[in-house]
Amino acid sequence: MLRRILLGLILAGVAGAGVFWWLTIPAVVASASLPPRTPNLANGVATFNAGGCSSCHAVPNQPDRLKLGGGLAMPSPFGTFYVPNISSDPTYGIGRWSEADFVTAVLKGTSPDGTHYFPAFPYTSYRNATVDDVRDLFAYLKTLAPVSGKTRDHDVPFPFNIRRNVGVWKWLFMDGKHHVADASHSASWKRGAYLVNGMGHCAECHSPRNFLGGILEVQRFAGGPNPEGEGWVPNITQKRLAEWSAKDIAYFLETGQTPDGDTAGGSMVRVIKNTSQLPPEDRDAIAEYVKSLAPVEGPPQPKKQDAEKS
Amino acid sequence: MKRIVVVAAVLAFSAGAVVAQQDQVKRTQGMMKDNGKNAAALSAMVKGEKPYDQSTVNAALAQFDDTAKNLPTLFPESMKGVRLEGDYDASPKVWTDKAGFESQIKSFAKVVTDAKSKVKNLDTLKAELPVIGKQCSGCHETYRIKKG
Repeated sequence: MLRRILLGLILAGVAGAGVFWWLTIPAVVASASLPPRTPNLANGVATFNAGGCSSCHAVPNQPDRLKLGGGLAMPSPFGTFYVPNISSDPTYGIGRWSEADFVTAVLKGTSPDGTHYFPAFPYTSYRNATVDDVRDLFAYLKTLAPVSGKTRDHDVPFPFNIRRNVGVWKWLFMDGKHHVADASHSASWKRGAYLVNGMGHCAECHSPRNFLGGILEVQRFAGGPNPEGEGWVPNITQKRLAEWSAKDIAYFLETGQTPDGDTAGGSMVRVIKNTSQLPPEDRDAIAEYVKSLAPVEGPPQPKKQDAEKS
Repeated sequence: MKRIVVVAAVLAFSAGAVVAQQDQVKRTQGMMKDNGKNAAALSAMVKGEKPYDQSTVNAALAQFDDTAKNLPTLFPESMKGVRLEGDYDASPKVWTDKAGFESQIKSFAKVVTDAKSKVKNLDTLKAELPVIGKQCSGCHETYRIKKG
């Protein structure tokens, strides 16, 4: 009897491990699936700026936003991530990557050696980008200067440091469905929806997350506690931005100035450095889409009265 | 008796300090709000919502200049760690990275001085306002925390 129970347990364990293994196989894009294409570098620049790549990958505390040696510390509830080097350096950057490696990384969140990236890299949004945009981005990144130097390893404790577990996370929070723009809208609205939900990855900071770090879908774009630590990320649905016109939003993305004369602060300053480089039509498109986001109540904010107690 | 006097004196003193601190916070926040109002008036012109008006420009730049001069005194050590009313707190970095904070103030002051001599019409305002805005953001990126 005992032997039978033991055997059953072992079989269940093996089956469980098999399911886990199968569930967490990192997805890849095969190079054979990429037809020949002449890269469009101008589109690569636009994709780079829309994606805000340099917001995180630029070497911190120096002015050159195209120096993509990484190293920025990204604190999170799961540990501190150190942003990798994505310069064209063959040893420390992506200089030896194939185009399929890069497309796989950005659209599937899988590294060239076949492991899952942590979702601090916002592939959950980037996967909505078109393959052509990502290929152009790769061509553009290859034109930028190599930066040598290895960045620090992530400081992420168990169990979050088990890369295979990220496969479960992806299964839970990345449903494989892509953002589909509503056909009834204007071309510029669709462009805005594409930029916001794809490369722009706005929801990654402007949404509350559950205890596993998955976005709470019902409150997408409704803001929440700053995932990187102190403070609050604002709600960008019409709950909060009703008094902003689309023009105000576009002007903010260009200059960092709000309609009441305030300016962007915190991480948004780095975002504006990218959005200010976008073609004006793209900023207008983003603004049109953001202006159309239905009002959604965000998570409760810390009470302001607390301030008086100090 | 002596003890009561001492206790009363200490209480009066600390109450006075708290009032002084609150006044300080109000002064700092008031100045920043005025900056915002002036910046909004300038961006309204840049956006074409209002016609260009030199006296509004002069008043705004004069107030920015005043802010730049006062900023070094607007964040005294006593404000460190104080939770403020309103949407923002000052980051502890104001005091832990004093050198960085002060270099931001200097750079803001320089940009405002430049703008005062340069802005004479809508085109020059369009060129200069983003430069000023970058200074505001440069400081708010690191030294301000949004609460809500």
